[in-house]
This record gives sequence, C-alpha cells and structure tokens, in this order.
Amino acid sequence: MSRILLIEDDIPIRQELSELLRNAGYEAVYITDFTAPLPEILSAQADLILLDINLPGINGEQILREIRRSSETPVIMVTSRTSELDEVLSMSYGADDYITKPYNPTILLLRISAVLKRSRDTVTNTTYRGLTVDIAKGSLTGQKGELILTKNEMLIFRTLLEKQGGIVSRDELMTTLWDNAEYINDNALTVNISRLRTKLADFGCENAIETRKKQGYILL
Amino acid sequence: MSFSRFFRDRLPAVCIYTAVFLLAMVFMQASGSDIHGTIIVGIIFIAGGAAILSWDYLRRCDFYKRAFKAIEIADQKYLVSEMVPEPEFADGEAVYQLLAEACRDMYEKVAEQKRISTEFREYIELWVHEIKLPVSGLLLMCHNDGEAGERYAAQIRRIDDYIENVLFYARSENAEKDYIIKEVCLQKVFGSVAMKNMETLHERGVSIVTEGLDTDVMTDSKWLEYILGQLLSNSMKYFRPDCEPEISVKAEVLPDRTELRFRDNGAGISASDLPYIFEKSFTGENGRDSSHSTGMGLFIVRSLCDRLGHSISADSEKGSFTEIKITFGKDTHLQIDCG
Repeated sequence: MSRILLIEDDIPIRQELSELLRNAGYEAVYITDFTAPLPEILSAQADLILLDINLPGINGEQILREIRRSSETPVIMVTSRTSELDEVLSMSYGADDYITKPYNPTILLLRISAVLKRSRDTVTNTTYRGLTVDIAKGSLTGQKGELILTKNEMLIFRTLLEKQGGIVSRDELMTTLWDNAEYINDNALTVNISRLRTKLADFGCENAIETRKKQGYILL
Repeated sequence: MSFSRFFRDRLPAVCIYTAVFLLAMVFMQASGSDIHGTIIVGIIFIAGGAAILSWDYLRRCDFYKRAFKAIEIADQKYLVSEMVPEPEFADGEAVYQLLAEACRDMYEKVAEQKRISTEFREYIELWVHEIKLPVSGLLLMCHNDGEAGERYAAQIRRIDDYIENVLFYARSENAEKDYIIKEVCLQKVFGSVAMKNMETLHERGVSIVTEGLDTDVMTDSKWLEYILGQLLSNSMKYFRPDCEPEISVKAEVLPDRTELRFRDNGAGISASDLPYIFEKSFTGENGRDSSHSTGMGLFIVRSLCDRLGHSISADSEKGSFTEIKITFGKDTHLQIDCG
C-alpha cells in the first residue's frame, strides 16, 4: 500500500483528501506543524507527497526545494493559484506534477497513480493469465499468437489490469480515456468494453471482464 | 506659433512704437536736423525694432516648437513638462510652471488610480484563491459521498466557473504582465479543458472531435485553458435541440502561424450580431433568448488574446454552426526553458 503525505493547512480539505485517498486504497498521513516541516516530511517515508503552495508562514515551493536537496520522493503540487509562473517554478524545482484546486477527485487519483507508477520504474510488460501484455505496443501475446488491441481497448484493459480483481468504475475508465485524449462518450465506452470482451474471449480468455451493476467492472 | 499670429499679438506694441518713431522723426525734422541724419536715425530705429521683434519671436518659437514636438511623440502626454527645458522668458516661465503643476497633479492622480486598481486586482486574485479552498473542500465532500454528492458537485462546478470569470476579467484588465509565454502543447491544454467539463459534456451527449492538436504553440497555458473553457461553455449554452451536439477542435500548422479552429454545430450567430460578439456586454439575439448571458465571456476572451498577441475571429451561420479561430504567431525567441 502506497503511503501519501499531505502537506495542506486547510483542515476540511485535509480530512476529505485523507478520506478520498483511503477509499482509493492508499495510506494517508499528514503533518500539522508547518514551521520547520522538513524533518517530519522526510521521516514520514512517504511514497508520494501532495504539497500545497500557500502554507502558513512558508511557501510550498520553498519546501519543495528543501525536499529535493535530500530526497527524490515524487511530489505533486496542489494549489489554488492558477498562474503559469507558479507552475513553471514548481516544475523547475522538481515537482512531478502540478494540479490546481478545485480539482476533479478522479483526476487527482489518476495523476497520483500515474506519478507513483513512473517513480517505480514500472515494467511496461506484465502478464495476464499467462499472456504477455505489451502496453506500448498494445498487444497480448500467448500460445495462440498475438492479439492486437486498439488504443482505447488497451487503455481500458490496462486500467482494469492494474486493479485486477477489484472494481473499476466507469468514471475511472472514462477519466483515463479522456486523460489520454480519447474523448469518447458513454455509449462508445460500452461498445469498447464489449468489443474488448469479445476479443479476449476469442483469444481464449472467457469471462475476463465481469460487470457489476451500478459499480463498474472487474477483470478476473 | 506662426510669425503672423505673433505679429498680430504684438500689433498694439508695434503701433505705439511706430507712432513714437514717427513723432520723433517729425520732431527731428521740425527742430531743423539734417535730412540725412534723420534718415540714418530712422533706419537704426526700424532695424532695432525689427531685431527686438524677431528675437522675441524666435526665443518663444523655439520653446513652443519643442513643447509641441515633445507632446507629439510622447506616449504619456501628461509627462510633457518633464520633456521640455524651462523657458527663459517671463510668460513662458508662468506657462511652464502651470504646466508642470498640472502635469504633476495628473501624474499623481494616475499613479493613485493605478495603485488602487492594482490593489483591487491583487485582492481579487487573493480572494479567488481563498474561495477556491472551500470550493475544493466541497467538491471532495461530494465525491466522498458517492452518487448523492454528484448533484451538488454540478452546482459547485458552476460556482467555480463564475469565480474563474472574475479572476480572468481582473487579469485581462490589468496593465501588468502576469502571464508567461512559452511552448505549450495544444493537446495538453484542450485535454484539461475537456476533463474539467467531462461530466457536463457527457450529460449533454456532446461528441468531441480533435485533429492536429499534438502541436506546440507559444502562449500561456493557464490563459489559453480559460479561453478554450469559455468557448466550450458558450458552445454548450447554444446547442440546437434537433441535432446531435458536436464540438470539433482542429489545429493547423502553417509556415508562419498555427490556427486553432473551435467549431460547434449549435444555434449559430446571426450575421447582424457577428461583428459585435467580442464587444463588452454584447448579448445579441442568442443572449436575449437565454437569461444566462452577461456578454462578458467573449469580451474577456478577446482581451486575453490581445494581451497574449493571438488574433481571434469568428465565423458563423445562424442555425448551423459557429467557428472561432485563434491564430498563434511563431516567435521562437520567447522560449523559456522550464526544465
């Protein structure tokens, strides 16, 4: 379970954010003292830090620079400041992503998982039921040969595979697709999923994707 | 100041001088002076008078010429007193003092107003950042509450849109440069706009077609995001009920510029309204039909485009489509390395 450190002074946001992260399967920790936060930040041993820019008495960008002197922990800047300058500064100080408030919670989770994946040097090739999954190429390879998936199908399959055995909501799938510049609508998502199902079944993976009414899909 | 105007101004003095001169001549003749002597004295006096007049004209002329020249080239005309040397003749000094006084007062007033408007804008920025905190909190709460929260979330997103309008109106009216122009990928900018509006777009069943967005333009990504967000929300306001709503966003790279076309198949704009849609507070036929138009959206969009140096134009056919075209220049010397 990845541990995420929240550096956020607004208490209601901190609480809701912790809840959001816990519901998404992360461990959420936070600090409450911002006067000299560095030792506490480093001792938290977080896998990822969500860092606000406007903090009492200190600037998040400053904290980021201090963190970067001794640690490579991924940092996502979260701020209500919508200015290019803040973003350029944060990125140049070594932030891994920059998200402006108010954010769509699904997008925030997506970004968190993307940054975490990047920091873990994820292997692009994984396996599913003995098939080799080549994400970059968009293909599944097994004894039957090679199954080529379209970009959309691969995005859906990858998202399901990452949470194999757990429920992935339609909203999550949709957000992933849109985040990859595939602006499909609700019907198209349904069509894509059923096409993926058929393709997998034809390739020997029967009943790979299960539908949970009103909740989402599970890759078995 | 022409010489004839100056001469007319000096006419009474010239008349008195001439009268005195003639009297002196007559007196000299009457007192039995030599005619040659009288003529020589006469020439000396005429020459002296002309010299006084020309000298007086020239030094004035010099001052006023400089002053007019200065005011002609000046960017801020109220600073003219700083740009001309102080004249050395009495009435000129008086005029100069008045001018300097008036200019200083004007300058102070302008500076004061600038300060007030900057402070106001800074407060608006601050306020926007403050109010975004509870808005973020609320959105998170809605999400954590599951399906029930989505109903509220839609309204909160509307509030957020209105807040953005205030922020960017303040930014567009501000004379200071608070944007950064760097290479920005159109796909990324449009992606965040689409994401931000994903729920509403789904609700309305809008199809989105993009083409050629995988290219970089020189702009401020946050400003462009707002601009595209405005165009998107405009399109969504005026879809026709009788056809499938569609928005297409296409970029075309040309040798000297990149053109971004944002097109919808909505209600369109009538030809008589089209030239005015970027004017402040213009609502037009479409705006009158719906109560949600303030006529500010496109005005802010145009101001932002002006400030960023992009040109923007619109094409439309009533009942068929609206297309907004934004043209980005290619000035590579403005690149900023942002690691």
